[in-house]
Amino acid sequence: MRRTLLGLAGTVALLFGLAAPALAFEPVNVVHTEKVQAGPYDLTIGFSTWPVKAMQSLDFTFAPENGIEGKKGTLTLFREGVEADDSPLARHPRKREVWGLDIFALPEQGTWTMKFDVEGPAGAGSGELKSLQVMEQPGPPMGLSWAISTIPLFGLIALIVVAWRRTRATVD
Amino acid sequence: MTVNITAASATSSARTVPRGLVPASVVLGGTLISLIGLTWDIQWHSDVGPDTFFTLPHLFLYAGSAISGLASLAVVLMTTANAKRDKAIDPMVGGRAVGVFGRTFSAPVGYLVSGIGAALFLVYGLWDQWWHGLYGFDAVIDSPPHIGLLLSISITMVGAVMVFAVARDDSWGTYGIAAAAGTLLAFSMVTVLGLSALPGGPVNTVNAGSAFFSVMILFMGAYVLNRRGGAFAVGVVVALLQAVFWWFSPWATEVYADATGLPLRDYADGIPGLPNMIPMSLILVAVAVELLRGLPAWVAGLAGGVIITACAPLQRMLTYGSNFPALERYLPTVVAGAVLGALAGMLGRRFGHMLRHLAPAKEDRHA
Repeated sequence: MRRTLLGLAGTVALLFGLAAPALAFEPVNVVHTEKVQAGPYDLTIGFSTWPVKAMQSLDFTFAPENGIEGKKGTLTLFREGVEADDSPLARHPRKREVWGLDIFALPEQGTWTMKFDVEGPAGAGSGELKSLQVMEQPGPPMGLSWAISTIPLFGLIALIVVAWRRTRATVD
Repeated sequence: MTVNITAASATSSARTVPRGLVPASVVLGGTLISLIGLTWDIQWHSDVGPDTFFTLPHLFLYAGSAISGLASLAVVLMTTANAKRDKAIDPMVGGRAVGVFGRTFSAPVGYLVSGIGAALFLVYGLWDQWWHGLYGFDAVIDSPPHIGLLLSISITMVGAVMVFAVARDDSWGTYGIAAAAGTLLAFSMVTVLGLSALPGGPVNTVNAGSAFFSVMILFMGAYVLNRRGGAFAVGVVVALLQAVFWWFSPWATEVYADATGLPLRDYADGIPGLPNMIPMSLILVAVAVELLRGLPAWVAGLAGGVIITACAPLQRMLTYGSNFPALERYLPTVVAGAVLGALAGMLGRRFGHMLRHLAPAKEDRHA
């Protein structure tokens, strides 16, 4: 029993020992930028990978000139002109001096628009990043990915079928 | 002679704990750790964000499957050793032993299922790593590899229900079935998010799927226990898990964020993610199942499916302040809930009967 407990304690210590250095989160690395004029505000849109591919997550940063202090706003996403999402502009969790989206993926390929509505000391303003081309998703087709991922479900169904056939009589 | 005395005293002291209870409890404990890891991880992504392979919620997810898997492996190896020595195999430990890879291993069927789930978790962990390498560390819960991982854990949870179902006539088996079925039900409310990938037309496939799986698992628990209060017991376990996680998930997330020096997101609402996926109306369904006990299973199942799909938007209005959905989406979802609930009632009843077959034949039983 003591050996078992010691073994368990050792395993936990090892896991936490490994976890501590691994928790160093990667910095946001902007490799491409675009400019948007939202009324009186100059916005720089940063992308951590370029070009953007469908389903591939990346860090987006939205940096107004003179910083985000005293400003707030909304980001609305459109795909092919149809609204897909909207959310308040929030600070990026790993780059708190600017707004952003962390490890965020645009789900489908096509032409996307990012609309920014910003309010601040110089009043309110809107601007759009139009024609953001999102390329085809990398990797296998989704049908194949889903087929691989649902094997356990079909295995469970097979088990149920076998058990069903063998347990026709009810028991008390 | 000394050896004989030692062996006898060891046997008598071991009898204070019913045979089969310890490994079954370890498997159940592992599945609960998986569930804790999942509720914590979901909350972490919504309220804080940054992700690595080795966050503490992830470690809980890995540890849960590892604990259940190692316990299952230990039972299979011990059973195999006993079979090779022609020693009697007690079917109270995980049910009847079946041959694996011919006669290489003798595995009690319950532990075989829980162990396969844990082994699949490892395989899907690799698939998930590859996926993240290609698509990035997205926080998408319903990506294909995540659904594969969740399904693998669900199989371990089905195994946990099976190992307790073997002892359904003992009190530890009864409590274990309610606990294991409740854990499976709560966990499945996340797995059904994968149904959002299905084209449902006007039907909310996730709500309809939640209704189907919760009614089915509730009925399965009720019919394997086959006593008044069985469905209610499973419903109470789920409600307890929901209540505890409602407090735990945001609390643990905030404590962990503080410990790692990370800020909460701007606009983080702190609303518990996983607990809010569990229908609060489930306890009503459990009461309905108890009250409609004399009627065919599909009637109570239909009622359960309607209650869950009809109440799901109300829960979102209560917690998120959402608007009531458009009627052209709400009504088809309730109709789908009724049809799927009726089917789930019949299936769950049958699954309960199937699980009753796992208990050793009457003359061999303790009670």
